Amino acid sequence: MRLKDKTNGLLNFSDYKKPRFHILYAVIIFLLILVVLTALLPVFWLIVSSFKSVQEINSTTFSFFPDVFDINKIWQVWQKENFGKYFFNSIIVTSGAVVCAVIFNGLMAYVISIVKPKGYKVMYVMIMISYMIPAITGMIPLFKWLSDINMTDNYLPLMLIFGANAFYFINFKNYFDMIPRSLFEAAKIDGCSDLKIFTHVVLPLSRPIVGVVAIFAMTGAWSDFLLPYLLLNDSDLYTIMVEIYQVQNTLGNGFTYDEFLMLLVISIIPQIIVFFIFQKQITSSASNAGIKE
Amino acid sequence: MINLAYLENETEREKTASKYPVIKKHKTLFSSKNFSGWLLLLPGLILFGFFVWGPMVMNVIYSFFDGYSLKNFIGFDNYMYIFNDSMFQAALQNTFYYIFWSLLIGFFAPIIIGLLLSEVVLGKSFFRMIIYLPCIISGIAVAFLFKSLYDPEPYAIFNVILKSLGLPTSLFADDPSLAIPLIVVAMTWRGAGGTVLIYLSAIQTIDPSQYEAVRLDGGGLIRRIQYVTWPVLKPTISTLLIMQVISVFQVFYEPMIIGNSNIHSISMMLLSYNYAFSDGKPQLGAAVSVILSLIIIVFTGIYFAVTAYFKRRHDYAA
Repeated sequence: MRLKDKTNGLLNFSDYKKPRFHILYAVIIFLLILVVLTALLPVFWLIVSSFKSVQEINSTTFSFFPDVFDINKIWQVWQKENFGKYFFNSIIVTSGAVVCAVIFNGLMAYVISIVKPKGYKVMYVMIMISYMIPAITGMIPLFKWLSDINMTDNYLPLMLIFGANAFYFINFKNYFDMIPRSLFEAAKIDGCSDLKIFTHVVLPLSRPIVGVVAIFAMTGAWSDFLLPYLLLNDSDLYTIMVEIYQVQNTLGNGFTYDEFLMLLVISIIPQIIVFFIFQKQITSSASNAGIKE
Repeated sequence: MINLAYLENETEREKTASKYPVIKKHKTLFSSKNFSGWLLLLPGLILFGFFVWGPMVMNVIYSFFDGYSLKNFIGFDNYMYIFNDSMFQAALQNTFYYIFWSLLIGFFAPIIIGLLLSEVVLGKSFFRMIIYLPCIISGIAVAFLFKSLYDPEPYAIFNVILKSLGLPTSLFADDPSLAIPLIVVAMTWRGAGGTVLIYLSAIQTIDPSQYEAVRLDGGGLIRRIQYVTWPVLKPTISTLLIMQVISVFQVFYEPMIIGNSNIHSISMMLLSYNYAFSDGKPQLGAAVSVILSLIIIVFTGIYFAVTAYFKRRHDYAA
């Protein structure tokens, strides 16, 4: 599309017949390039700095780029404290969290949106209330309960907590509300149970929203820090974010600052890869969902 | 053989049954619809109860007792204690500074970026993608990233830039008066992309013929925004305003990592955590959480009251 064909928006083709609007368009693009640079430069700076040596970072003469770009450094830092272990732990927790997020929130949204048993509205209101009050405020009693039932050093609560997320629930419910009711009546008449309708009718019809919640849960679980930090005492069980935090706390004790920055880069790479693969689904759902996590 | 014949009859019976279904009316509480419905709700009920609702209720209970054991009921003593604690007073005050700075720095930028983005003809999806990118990076990693950017050493990146502009060097987040604004910059850097996309999708619902109507009346850019864009965006803006205020109450990693948990930038959420897990006084942490929840409930209530008021006025006008 070109400016002289633009028919929508604040400015359209008839405005762009005048040269001064071309200047305005150039200003718009210029400002957006500034925004893009603001979004990218900190990440870029982090990557560049992680390749520097400590001496370079602490040198009184500043240089943006490192003296040598040694790509092997990624591998060396990775091996130094067996980072693969924490990566693997994070992958386990994240996969479990994604499964819980989809199954439990999806099932709840299905019952409240479609089955509607007597009294379902009470549940709905309670979920909406918990959406307003951040779940992080309940961390103290939750930690107490989980310690009481010996759930520390266990991945189960870290996964299951993603099954009780009002944001994912709302995503599912908004989507299920749009599915034509006649489909369920047909399945019901064919003798399907409520559970079977969920697994055989609703889920196959809802692949887009399942994908969206799965992606949200994936980035959410990968980034999760507070609960894993409180619950995991055994350093063999640390997830990647907990390990990063511990490395930062004991800086100079094994790891140097540049190596810490390198670990930080490594920890965000999976999220960035997932984002670039699914960027279309992520950006379109983020705008439809209406509200951020 | 007999069994097989029976089975055949069974399937036969099922077939006729599905052809002529008996539609039951679900009037009783124990009808099959209600029963199977609640049975399916049960896992979610347990999870929400354990991870969300239960802890909320327990917070209120703990805040009236001494320690985790529920033997010593001490009334409002915990609340009295925190209200007299200078750390809590600072955190409460900081919360309002956070709201102020986050509205100043983070509220208008996404609206403007959304408007600019909606006007792009070529490469819109590229811009959209890059602007959203910071949102997917984990909060704690972003906090570490900005902590290293805000390095106060004279040879660190921002001080080098300041020096080259002939300005004095700065301590950045170590400077008490700069800590909160700089933390808000980090929060905005991570959060703005998501907000931009929400505004963008609201802007894209605008019917182009409305702009055309203003244009035919000789309306310039300002008038088009005033009469078309603004009325469409108003509900989204007010929703996101309250969402932003609520999200500011949750700020946690940034003051912990960038602000080193110190008094100039400590947030209520972080203070609650520190009381419980650093000072070993969970009852105080619970009391802070309760106060925080109450503040959020009041803000949400005000928001709903105001929107209901405007909606009524709008309905009368229409």
